Amino acid sequence: MSLVELGLYFALLSLVSVGGLPSVMPEMQRFVVDVKGWLTPADFIQAFAVGQAAPGPNVLIASLIGWKVAGLPGAFVALGSICFPAAVIAWWVAELWDRFKDSPWRKAIQRAIAPIVVGMILSGGVVLATPGAPDWRLWLIAGLAAAGMLATKLNPLWFLGAGGVLGALLL
Amino acid sequence: MGFFWIGARSFGGVMPWAYRTMVEERRWLSHADFTETIGLCQFLPGPNIGNASIVLGKRWFGLSGSIVAFLGLMALPFIWVLGLFIVYSDLSSNAALKAVVTGVGAAGAGLFIGTAVKLGRALVKKPAALALIAACFALVAVARVSLLMVVPIGLGIAVFAARRGWL
Repeated sequence: MSLVELGLYFALLSLVSVGGLPSVMPEMQRFVVDVKGWLTPADFIQAFAVGQAAPGPNVLIASLIGWKVAGLPGAFVALGSICFPAAVIAWWVAELWDRFKDSPWRKAIQRAIAPIVVGMILSGGVVLATPGAPDWRLWLIAGLAAAGMLATKLNPLWFLGAGGVLGALLL
Repeated sequence: MGFFWIGARSFGGVMPWAYRTMVEERRWLSHADFTETIGLCQFLPGPNIGNASIVLGKRWFGLSGSIVAFLGLMALPFIWVLGLFIVYSDLSSNAALKAVVTGVGAAGAGLFIGTAVKLGRALVKKPAALALIAACFALVAVARVSLLMVVPIGLGIAVFAARRGWL
């Protein structure tokens, strides 16, 4: 039963996940931890950390939560249901988007979106670096990684590795 | 498909990797194209890079392109993340490992911030854009207002500003 509930709820979240997964993380936590009690808060934070540390889209955090709730089928159901409704919308909108290529409204919307996106990505980074109470050590690591990425052309994996080392030393 | 490669090596968030692979290395897209596509995908619901794989896959190869790009993006990371989680669950009582994982997460968050700055550089000469970025940040990151409120209102204001030629 929890598998069906998980699938339906994540499909619903998919439709409201404007701005990507980070924006629905608090609602996801409220549902699986507070409402359903499928995971403990510690479980949830662990899944989030591993999802962040592992390669891939951070939407895969949903599959870790599904795994915790209902094993391997849970992982597939959670990931599929959080992705599919949004994927269908993206598919249809892409077509409309191309059809209105020369419309002044489309140009206005395109120019309008850019600053909103920058604001959201920036917020995502800061929110992710502040999982609980503000911690200067996490902000230091995040700040160094951001500065390193902007100042050099190094492979981002170096900054993640350095973050791990700093984490071991500082935390 | 390049999306498989993006997914395979995208530690700590896909966005910086997607930019690097598609814009800087393979030159499939220009900087402006990338910003706009991600912008579209950001305001659509769903995982942004997943949407980007659908939109770009469709643009280049139709339905099969979308499916291949999306599955390519997800396949390896899905196996990776579950495997890592199994290993981590076994070892999670180890405090040192926990510290390392948290440090990696913070660095991944930093790469998000770096990506935002990179994309934002193109907007630096437009005061209205900077004001919008600041307002979004204050509402989302500081006041923690729901995106369901911020995005529609912010976009409405931004479209108005764009129609007036401010953006």
